[in-house]
Amino acid sequence: MTVSFDHALVLAGALFIMGIFCVVVRRNLIMMLLGLEIMLNAASIALVGAALKWHHVEGQAIALFIMAVAATEVSIGLAMIVGFYRRTDTVDPNALEEFK
Amino acid sequence: MLGTLNQQPILYAAVLASVVPLIAFLLIMVVTRRRPRVSAGLSIVAITIAFACSVLLLVRYWGLAALLQVTGTWVTTGQFTVSIGFILDPLSLLMVTVVSGISLLVQVYSLGYMAGDPGFSRYYAYMSLFAWAMISLVLSPNLLQLYVFWELVGVSSYLLIGFWYEKFSASEAGKKAFVMTRLGDVAFLLGLLTLLIPLGNLDVLMLNSPDIGSTMPAGMLTLSALLIFGGVVGKSAQFPLLTWLPDAMEGPTPVSALLHSATMVAAGVFLFARIFPFFSQSPAAMTVFLAIGTISMLLAATMAMVARDIKQVWAYSTISQLGFMIMGLAAGGYVAGVFHLITHAGFKALLFLCAGVFIHVYDSNDMFEIGRQGGRRLKIPMACMIVGAAALSGLPPLSGFFSKEAIIGVLATQDNRLWLGAALVGVVLTAYYTFRLIFIMLFPSAGAPSPPPTSGHGHHGRDYWTMATPLLILAAVTLVLGFAQTPLTQFLLFGVDAGGDHGHGERGLLIAAIAGAVGGVLLAWFEFGRKGSPQIGFVERIPALATLFSERWYLDRIYRWLLDRVVYGVFSRLATWNDERIINDGVDAFSDRLVGSGRILATLHRGMIQYKLLVMFSVVALLGLYFFF
Repeated sequence: MTVSFDHALVLAGALFIMGIFCVVVRRNLIMMLLGLEIMLNAASIALVGAALKWHHVEGQAIALFIMAVAATEVSIGLAMIVGFYRRTDTVDPNALEEFK
Repeated sequence: MLGTLNQQPILYAAVLASVVPLIAFLLIMVVTRRRPRVSAGLSIVAITIAFACSVLLLVRYWGLAALLQVTGTWVTTGQFTVSIGFILDPLSLLMVTVVSGISLLVQVYSLGYMAGDPGFSRYYAYMSLFAWAMISLVLSPNLLQLYVFWELVGVSSYLLIGFWYEKFSASEAGKKAFVMTRLGDVAFLLGLLTLLIPLGNLDVLMLNSPDIGSTMPAGMLTLSALLIFGGVVGKSAQFPLLTWLPDAMEGPTPVSALLHSATMVAAGVFLFARIFPFFSQSPAAMTVFLAIGTISMLLAATMAMVARDIKQVWAYSTISQLGFMIMGLAAGGYVAGVFHLITHAGFKALLFLCAGVFIHVYDSNDMFEIGRQGGRRLKIPMACMIVGAAALSGLPPLSGFFSKEAIIGVLATQDNRLWLGAALVGVVLTAYYTFRLIFIMLFPSAGAPSPPPTSGHGHHGRDYWTMATPLLILAAVTLVLGFAQTPLTQFLLFGVDAGGDHGHGERGLLIAAIAGAVGGVLLAWFEFGRKGSPQIGFVERIPALATLFSERWYLDRIYRWLLDRVVYGVFSRLATWNDERIINDGVDAFSDRLVGSGRILATLHRGMIQYKLLVMFSVVALLGLYFFF
């Protein structure tokens, strides 16, 4: 039994939209970063689903690359947030305006 | 894959056996972590199911004529194919029964040993993780799958050695075990790659086929056999990677019994047996293996002669016996090596579990201390320990006698008599250090004051009996297993008559082996057992030798020196210099420029990032709509 490609796409789409909402709506840099992660994972799911559908292993390979990129992205992003927090005492993205 | 399964529904038992412990692990980790009793129950039920399945399979396929393999393709890319599935042949059937059986006994035993520990649930979760990984490892039909579970077994070993992670020495020991076995595993992985590139897959069946020698050049074959053997050296704690195993005794005693003597460290030997026909294609590699096995056996035996800690003695003797198995296999004795692997699993688990009872009751690892406190009053563990010790020394009629005899018989067929001589010396040393421990505990020196009986520990409470029952079962197995040699031999060879393999017809050899063992016991009796004995071994009369042995032949010092001088002194220093001067400064210069230009550009896009993101997403979505619909 395999999951059909449509189902994989629906799941990926739903996750992606949830990720967008998280990035756009939450007033918290950490949650925005989480949203980005969710969007990346949605893309991975779509790729893996496509790999399954067309029997190409490249989709899975790219998904692995995405994981690596996501890991580096999180570490750099969190480091930036920590730096930001130390200087402004807040994680509100709107505070970027005063951040020079 | 499913088709084959449906044809023979009994094969689902194999799937069940390898999956149930994983389910137990996940359930304990996610759901029942705060309820120790439920966790223990779950884990024990899971391993019982696995054990029942493996016994079922063993009975059903007893005497099967050709091996069974069920595989499905996982990944095909280019010319490489990776399959997953499981293989059922006499070796894997026997191993899976041994692994699940001893896991079951050890888990029951742990109910008593670990009672009241704050990490009780965690302990059972790790035990289930280990059971899953080990059972799947044993059933793996190709080396890549085996390698995955090989590493998982390593992880569970790391977790369990460092189980009491608040203790600094325990977490250090876990790290050491992990890193040292990794060293071997890197070689293993390289060996797999050297096979994968010319052959395209790593199926055990293909590696074991007799015409493998014609598919790749002999030098390449020897190289990959040696590299794969690196994994065996790491996992089975052979020379030169042997010092992690004695340190691994920091873990709870049942863990030592299960992982670091009976099953996990035997995975190395199992791998050897698994692709035995492949290894035997390369006589040069086999000679190297024989030498490594011999060196490890003798080195570890000498270390055990001066150890004071019971668990350390058993740890050294594990290394020594694993070396002995590798000697047997490398000399061409497939059945002898596997048979010793199985009997050793039984009696070594027994010895460790007995040691655990003493440690639990007297709160000390030191054999002199336990003897002084009256260790012999614990009748059942003491009797079981003597049974196990006699099996380890190779005294008839216990299981160890038969399997050691088989290996010595194989070694006698070698042209070079050196190996046989080394094996006989090993037998004497083994009997000596084993009974040294027994006599020290049985007959403490008369001068020491005997403290009043410590009934406060509740020797005969429920804990005591949950610990004693597995001991009795294992002791019974140790007593009878040796007599199953002939049927086991036939089973392992697919019913083909063994012929030369158990040709230990030489009566002189038999007598020499028994005489060696008895001689060792008598020497121990003279020095530690008899009335008014000095309680000092002959090794301790030569201080230089005793220091050499108790310092583990300075192996750890050599590693430390190599680490400090070569790794830290040369490579790390160069790498640090490169890091600081070239990479750091280069990046600094680059990023200074970047920061400068960033400051200029930042004025353009400061603030309101979420509104801008919203606009960006909407534009992309609208563009998508425009282009695709």
